Amino acid sequence: MAKSLLIISRQAPWSGPGAREALDIVLAGGAFDLPIGLLFLDDGVFQLATKQDAKALQQKDLSANLQALPMFGVEELFVCAESAAQRGLDLGALSLEEARALAAAEITALIDRYDQVITL
Amino acid sequence: MSTLHVLSHSPFGDERLSSCLRVIGTHDALLLSGDAAYALQPGTAPFTALNARRLKLYVLAEDAQARAIDVPDWAEAIDYPAFVELSINHDKVNSWL
Amino acid sequence: MAAVSLIESVMKFAIAVFSAAHAPSSRRALLFAQAALAGGHEIVRLFFYQDGVYNASGSVVTPQDELDLPKQWRTFVSEQKLDGVVCIAAALRRGVLNEEEAKRYQRDAVAVGAPWELSGLGQLHDAVQDADRLICFGGA
Repeated sequence: MAKSLLIISRQAPWSGPGAREALDIVLAGGAFDLPIGLLFLDDGVFQLATKQDAKALQQKDLSANLQALPMFGVEELFVCAESAAQRGLDLGALSLEEARALAAAEITALIDRYDQVITL
Repeated sequence: MSTLHVLSHSPFGDERLSSCLRVIGTHDALLLSGDAAYALQPGTAPFTALNARRLKLYVLAEDAQARAIDVPDWAEAIDYPAFVELSINHDKVNSWL
Repeated sequence: MAAVSLIESVMKFAIAVFSAAHAPSSRRALLFAQAALAGGHEIVRLFFYQDGVYNASGSVVTPQDELDLPKQWRTFVSEQKLDGVVCIAAALRRGVLNEEEAKRYQRDAVAVGAPWELSGLGQLHDAVQDADRLICFGGA
Protein backbone atom coordinates (compact mmCIF):
# COMPACT_ATOMS: atom_id res chain seq x y z
CA MET A 1 0.00 0.00 0.00
CA ALA A 2 1.34 3.43 -0.92
CA LYS A 3 2.57 5.71 1.83
CA SER A 4 0.48 8.82 2.29
CA LEU A 5 2.09 12.28 2.21
CA LEU A 6 0.68 15.47 3.74
CA ILE A 7 1.91 18.79 2.39
CA ILE A 8 1.44 21.74 4.75
CA SER A 9 1.59 24.93 2.71
CA ARG A 10 2.43 27.99 4.83
CA GLN A 11 3.51 30.58 2.28
CA ALA A 12 1.39 33.43 0.98
CA PRO A 13 0.76 33.24 -2.77
CA TRP A 14 3.01 36.10 -3.88
CA SER A 15 5.91 35.71 -1.46
CA GLY A 16 8.17 34.00 -4.00
CA PRO A 17 7.98 30.57 -5.59
CA GLY A 18 7.21 28.84 -2.27
CA ALA A 19 3.47 28.47 -2.68
CA ARG A 20 3.81 27.29 -6.27
CA GLU A 21 6.62 24.87 -5.48
CA ALA A 22 4.58 23.36 -2.62
CA LEU A 23 1.67 22.89 -4.99
CA ASP A 24 3.98 21.29 -7.58
CA ILE A 25 4.86 18.58 -5.06
CA VAL A 26 1.15 17.93 -4.54
CA LEU A 27 0.33 17.84 -8.26
CA ALA A 28 3.28 15.54 -9.02
CA GLY A 29 2.09 13.16 -6.31
CA GLY A 30 -1.44 13.23 -7.66
CA ALA A 31 -0.14 12.55 -11.17
CA PHE A 32 1.55 9.42 -9.82
CA ASP A 33 -1.70 8.36 -8.13
CA LEU A 34 -0.22 8.70 -4.67
CA PRO A 35 -2.31 9.45 -1.57
CA ILE A 36 -1.56 13.16 -1.04
CA GLY A 37 -3.17 15.60 1.36
CA LEU A 38 -2.80 19.39 1.36
CA LEU A 39 -3.30 21.66 4.37
CA PHE A 40 -3.21 25.44 4.13
CA LEU A 41 -1.79 26.90 7.34
CA ASP A 42 -0.65 30.34 8.53
CA ASP A 43 -0.09 32.67 5.55
CA GLY A 44 -0.79 29.71 3.25
CA VAL A 45 -4.51 30.38 3.73
CA PHE A 46 -4.08 33.54 1.67
CA GLN A 47 -3.70 31.28 -1.36
CA LEU A 48 -7.44 30.63 -1.01
CA ALA A 49 -8.58 34.25 -0.96
CA THR A 50 -10.98 35.10 -3.76
CA LYS A 51 -10.67 37.79 -6.45
CA GLN A 52 -6.88 37.76 -6.44
CA ASP A 53 -5.19 39.29 -9.46
CA ALA A 54 -1.93 37.59 -10.39
CA LYS A 55 -1.51 39.75 -13.47
CA ALA A 56 -1.03 42.84 -11.32
CA LEU A 57 2.30 41.29 -10.27
CA GLN A 58 3.03 39.70 -13.65
CA GLN A 59 2.72 36.33 -11.96
CA LYS A 60 1.02 33.12 -13.00
CA ASP A 61 -2.36 32.54 -11.45
CA LEU A 62 -2.08 29.82 -8.77
CA SER A 63 -5.81 29.33 -8.51
CA ALA A 64 -6.00 27.44 -11.82
CA ASN A 65 -3.61 24.85 -10.36
CA LEU A 66 -5.58 24.79 -7.11
CA GLN A 67 -8.84 24.12 -8.94
CA ALA A 68 -7.09 21.29 -10.82
CA LEU A 69 -6.31 19.40 -7.63
CA PRO A 70 -9.39 17.16 -7.60
CA MET A 71 -8.71 16.35 -11.28
CA PHE A 72 -5.28 15.11 -10.20
CA GLY A 73 -6.96 12.89 -7.65
CA VAL A 74 -6.08 15.14 -4.71
CA GLU A 75 -9.24 15.50 -2.71
CA GLU A 76 -7.87 15.63 0.81
CA LEU A 77 -7.79 19.41 1.07
CA PHE A 78 -7.79 21.27 4.37
CA VAL A 79 -7.53 24.76 5.72
CA CYS A 80 -6.66 25.85 9.26
CA ALA A 81 -9.71 27.63 10.66
CA GLU A 82 -7.67 29.67 13.12
CA SER A 83 -5.19 30.85 10.48
CA ALA A 84 -8.09 31.97 8.29
CA ALA A 85 -9.85 33.75 11.15
CA GLN A 86 -6.66 35.57 12.18
CA ARG A 87 -6.31 36.80 8.60
CA GLY A 88 -9.90 37.93 8.20
CA LEU A 89 -10.81 35.24 5.67
CA ASP A 90 -14.37 33.98 5.51
CA LEU A 91 -14.22 30.17 5.59
CA GLY A 92 -17.48 30.07 3.66
CA ALA A 93 -16.05 32.12 0.80
CA LEU A 94 -12.73 30.53 -0.10
CA SER A 95 -11.62 29.94 -3.66
CA LEU A 96 -11.33 26.20 -3.01
CA GLU A 97 -14.74 25.00 -1.86
CA GLU A 98 -13.49 21.48 -1.26
CA ALA A 99 -11.08 22.60 1.46
CA ARG A 100 -12.32 21.43 4.85
CA ALA A 101 -11.83 23.82 7.77
CA LEU A 102 -9.98 22.22 10.68
CA ALA A 103 -9.47 23.23 14.30
CA ALA A 104 -6.05 22.80 15.93
CA ALA A 105 -6.86 19.42 17.50
CA GLU A 106 -8.09 18.14 14.15
CA ILE A 107 -4.82 19.22 12.56
CA THR A 108 -2.92 17.25 15.21
CA ALA A 109 -4.98 14.20 14.26
CA LEU A 110 -4.49 14.93 10.56
CA ILE A 111 -0.70 14.94 10.85
CA ASP A 112 -0.92 11.69 12.81
CA ARG A 113 -2.93 10.03 10.04
CA TYR A 114 -0.36 10.58 7.32
CA ASP A 115 2.78 8.48 6.88
CA GLN A 116 5.00 11.41 5.91
CA VAL A 117 4.71 15.18 6.03
CA ILE A 118 6.44 18.14 4.37
CA THR A 119 5.81 21.60 5.85
CA LEU A 120 7.02 24.35 3.58
CA MET B 1 1.70 7.64 16.55
CA SER B 2 4.21 10.35 17.31
CA THR B 3 5.89 13.05 15.29
CA LEU B 4 9.25 14.73 15.80
CA HIS B 5 8.73 18.40 14.97
CA VAL B 6 11.86 20.35 14.01
CA LEU B 7 12.13 24.12 14.11
CA SER B 8 15.01 26.18 12.78
CA HIS B 9 13.78 29.77 12.81
CA SER B 10 14.07 32.31 15.58
CA PRO B 11 10.74 32.49 17.46
CA PHE B 12 10.95 36.28 17.56
CA GLY B 13 8.98 37.79 14.73
CA ASP B 14 8.18 34.37 13.28
CA GLU B 15 5.02 32.31 13.51
CA ARG B 16 6.44 28.81 13.27
CA LEU B 17 6.90 28.14 16.99
CA SER B 18 3.41 29.29 17.94
CA SER B 19 1.78 27.38 15.07
CA CYS B 20 3.80 24.29 15.97
CA LEU B 21 2.72 24.53 19.61
CA ARG B 22 -0.91 24.79 18.47
CA VAL B 23 -0.81 21.49 16.61
CA ILE B 24 1.84 19.48 18.44
CA GLY B 25 0.44 16.28 19.94
CA THR B 26 0.89 14.88 23.44
CA HIS B 27 3.15 12.06 22.24
CA ASP B 28 5.17 14.31 19.92
CA ALA B 29 8.62 15.75 20.48
CA LEU B 30 10.14 19.07 19.49
CA LEU B 31 13.72 19.66 18.36
CA LEU B 32 15.02 23.22 18.33
CA SER B 33 17.77 23.67 15.75
CA GLY B 34 19.51 26.71 14.33
CA ASP B 35 17.99 30.01 15.44
CA ALA B 36 15.06 28.17 17.03
CA ALA B 37 17.48 27.59 19.93
CA TYR B 38 16.77 31.22 20.87
CA ALA B 39 13.43 29.95 22.18
CA LEU B 40 15.42 28.81 25.22
CA GLN B 41 16.62 32.34 25.96
CA PRO B 42 15.56 32.91 29.60
CA GLY B 43 13.16 35.72 30.40
CA THR B 44 11.38 35.51 27.09
CA ALA B 45 7.83 34.59 26.08
CA PRO B 46 8.96 31.51 24.08
CA PHE B 47 11.01 30.28 27.06
CA THR B 48 8.00 30.69 29.33
CA ALA B 49 5.68 29.01 26.83
CA LEU B 50 7.98 26.02 26.40
CA ASN B 51 8.56 25.69 30.12
CA ALA B 52 4.81 25.65 30.72
CA ARG B 53 4.20 22.78 28.26
CA ARG B 54 5.07 19.24 29.26
CA LEU B 55 6.89 18.60 25.99
CA LYS B 56 9.65 16.23 25.06
CA LEU B 57 11.99 19.07 24.18
CA TYR B 58 15.38 18.79 22.52
CA VAL B 59 17.90 21.29 21.22
CA LEU B 60 20.90 20.73 18.99
CA ALA B 61 23.86 21.11 21.36
CA GLU B 62 25.96 22.96 18.78
CA ASP B 63 23.25 25.58 18.33
CA ALA B 64 22.80 26.22 22.07
CA GLN B 65 26.56 26.40 22.49
CA ALA B 66 27.11 28.81 19.59
CA ARG B 67 24.50 31.15 21.04
CA ALA B 68 25.70 30.85 24.67
CA ILE B 69 22.30 29.53 25.68
CA ASP B 70 22.17 27.43 28.83
CA VAL B 71 20.00 24.41 28.27
CA PRO B 72 17.44 24.16 31.11
CA ASP B 73 16.86 20.80 32.75
CA TRP B 74 13.48 20.44 31.07
CA ALA B 75 15.20 20.27 27.66
CA GLU B 76 17.87 17.93 26.37
CA ALA B 77 20.86 18.99 24.28
CA ILE B 78 21.63 16.41 21.60
CA ASP B 79 24.22 15.67 18.94
CA TYR B 80 23.67 14.34 15.42
CA PRO B 81 23.75 10.62 16.25
CA ALA B 82 21.03 11.32 18.83
CA PHE B 83 19.13 13.36 16.21
CA VAL B 84 19.19 10.30 13.94
CA GLU B 85 17.94 8.11 16.81
CA LEU B 86 15.15 10.56 17.57
CA SER B 87 14.01 10.51 13.98
CA ILE B 88 13.81 6.72 14.19
CA ASN B 89 12.04 6.60 17.54
CA HIS B 90 9.21 8.76 16.23
CA ASP B 91 7.01 7.72 13.33
CA LYS B 92 7.82 10.72 11.20
CA VAL B 93 9.68 14.01 11.17
CA ASN B 94 7.94 17.31 10.49
CA SER B 95 10.46 20.06 9.76
CA TRP B 96 8.89 23.51 9.70
CA LEU B 97 10.82 24.78 6.69
CA MET C 1 29.67 -16.36 28.14
CA ALA C 2 27.80 -16.05 24.87
CA ALA C 3 28.11 -12.73 23.12
CA VAL C 4 24.87 -10.84 22.92
CA SER C 5 24.46 -8.83 19.78
CA LEU C 6 21.79 -6.20 19.56
CA ILE C 7 20.74 -6.00 15.98
CA GLU C 8 19.24 -2.62 15.44
CA SER C 9 17.16 -2.46 12.33
CA VAL C 10 18.64 -0.59 9.41
CA MET C 11 16.45 2.37 8.56
CA LYS C 12 16.12 3.83 5.08
CA PHE C 13 16.24 7.62 4.98
CA ALA C 14 15.12 10.02 2.28
CA ILE C 15 16.73 13.41 2.90
CA ALA C 16 15.38 16.50 1.16
CA VAL C 17 17.23 19.82 1.21
CA PHE C 18 15.40 23.06 0.47
CA SER C 19 18.01 25.70 1.31
CA ALA C 20 21.19 26.92 -0.33
CA ALA C 21 24.72 25.87 0.65
CA HIS C 22 25.31 29.01 2.69
CA ALA C 23 22.26 28.29 4.88
CA PRO C 24 23.00 26.61 8.23
CA SER C 25 20.30 24.06 7.48
CA SER C 26 22.28 22.72 4.53
CA ARG C 27 25.22 21.95 6.80
CA ARG C 28 22.81 20.33 9.27
CA ALA C 29 21.45 18.14 6.47
CA LEU C 30 24.95 16.97 5.58
CA LEU C 31 25.86 16.25 9.21
CA PHE C 32 22.59 14.36 9.68
CA ALA C 33 23.23 12.35 6.52
CA GLN C 34 26.76 11.50 7.69
CA ALA C 35 25.45 10.47 11.12
CA ALA C 36 22.77 8.29 9.52
CA LEU C 37 25.37 6.37 7.52
CA ALA C 38 27.73 6.19 10.50
CA GLY C 39 24.84 4.68 12.47
CA GLY C 40 24.60 1.89 9.92
CA HIS C 41 21.53 3.21 8.14
CA GLU C 42 20.84 3.73 4.45
CA ILE C 43 20.11 6.85 2.46
CA VAL C 44 17.81 6.00 -0.44
CA ARG C 45 18.12 9.43 -2.01
CA LEU C 46 19.19 13.00 -1.38
CA PHE C 47 16.71 15.31 -3.10
CA PHE C 48 17.44 18.99 -3.59
CA TYR C 49 14.46 21.30 -4.12
CA GLN C 50 13.79 25.04 -4.08
CA ASP C 51 17.01 26.84 -3.09
CA GLY C 52 18.52 23.46 -2.23
CA VAL C 53 19.52 23.13 -5.87
CA TYR C 54 22.32 25.64 -5.23
CA ASN C 55 24.15 22.97 -3.21
CA ALA C 56 24.82 21.18 -6.49
CA SER C 57 26.30 24.21 -8.18
CA GLY C 58 29.92 23.87 -9.16
CA SER C 59 30.04 27.65 -9.66
CA VAL C 60 29.89 28.51 -5.97
CA VAL C 61 33.17 30.03 -4.77
CA THR C 62 33.65 29.85 -1.03
CA PRO C 63 36.27 31.96 0.74
CA GLN C 64 39.27 29.89 1.79
CA ASP C 65 38.56 30.25 5.50
CA GLU C 66 34.93 29.14 5.21
CA LEU C 67 33.20 25.79 4.95
CA ASP C 68 32.93 24.70 1.31
CA LEU C 69 29.58 22.98 1.50
CA PRO C 70 29.01 22.32 -2.22
CA LYS C 71 32.38 20.57 -2.28
CA GLN C 72 31.57 18.61 0.88
CA TRP C 73 28.23 17.50 -0.56
CA ARG C 74 29.90 16.46 -3.82
CA THR C 75 32.56 14.48 -1.99
CA PHE C 76 30.00 12.85 0.30
CA VAL C 77 27.70 11.80 -2.53
CA SER C 78 30.60 10.50 -4.66
CA GLU C 79 32.42 8.63 -1.90
CA GLN C 80 29.30 7.06 -0.44
CA LYS C 81 27.89 6.37 -3.90
CA LEU C 82 24.60 8.01 -3.03
CA ASP C 83 21.79 9.06 -5.30
CA GLY C 84 21.99 12.87 -5.40
CA VAL C 85 19.03 14.25 -7.33
CA VAL C 86 18.38 17.90 -8.06
CA CYS C 87 14.88 18.98 -9.09
CA ILE C 88 15.18 20.10 -12.69
CA ALA C 89 12.35 22.67 -12.61
CA ALA C 90 13.76 24.33 -9.48
CA ALA C 91 17.27 24.20 -10.94
CA LEU C 92 16.33 25.81 -14.26
CA ARG C 93 14.51 28.63 -12.50
CA ARG C 94 17.64 29.30 -10.44
CA GLY C 95 20.19 28.99 -13.24
CA VAL C 96 21.71 25.75 -12.03
CA LEU C 97 22.04 23.95 -15.36
CA ASN C 98 23.91 20.85 -16.45
CA GLU C 99 25.49 20.52 -19.88
CA GLU C 100 22.38 19.07 -21.48
CA GLU C 101 20.08 21.82 -20.23
CA ALA C 102 22.61 24.56 -20.99
CA LYS C 103 22.70 23.31 -24.57
CA ARG C 104 18.92 22.98 -24.75
CA TYR C 105 18.31 26.51 -23.54
CA GLN C 106 21.46 27.96 -25.09
CA ARG C 107 22.93 29.20 -21.86
CA ASP C 108 26.63 29.87 -21.36
CA ALA C 109 27.15 28.56 -17.88
CA VAL C 110 27.19 24.90 -16.96
CA ALA C 111 26.91 24.73 -13.19
CA VAL C 112 26.10 21.11 -12.49
CA GLY C 113 28.11 18.02 -13.21
CA ALA C 114 28.65 14.58 -11.73
CA PRO C 115 27.63 13.22 -9.30
CA TRP C 116 24.46 15.28 -9.48
CA GLU C 117 21.48 14.23 -11.54
CA LEU C 118 18.76 16.65 -12.67
CA SER C 119 15.36 15.04 -12.50
CA GLY C 120 11.72 15.60 -11.63
CA LEU C 121 9.62 15.63 -8.46
CA GLY C 122 8.71 12.02 -9.21
CA GLN C 123 12.11 11.14 -7.74
CA LEU C 124 11.14 12.83 -4.47
CA HIS C 125 7.88 10.87 -4.33
CA ASP C 126 9.71 7.69 -5.22
CA ALA C 127 12.12 8.26 -2.35
CA VAL C 128 9.27 9.01 0.07
CA GLN C 129 7.63 5.72 -0.89
CA ASP C 130 10.84 3.75 -0.54
CA ALA C 131 12.15 5.25 2.70
CA ASP C 132 11.21 4.56 6.30
CA ARG C 133 11.83 8.18 7.21
CA LEU C 134 11.74 11.44 5.27
CA ILE C 135 13.76 14.28 6.79
CA CYS C 136 13.59 17.77 5.31
CA PHE C 137 16.11 20.54 5.92
CA GLY C 138 15.57 24.11 4.88
CA GLY C 139 14.29 27.52 5.81
CA ALA C 140 17.04 29.05 7.84
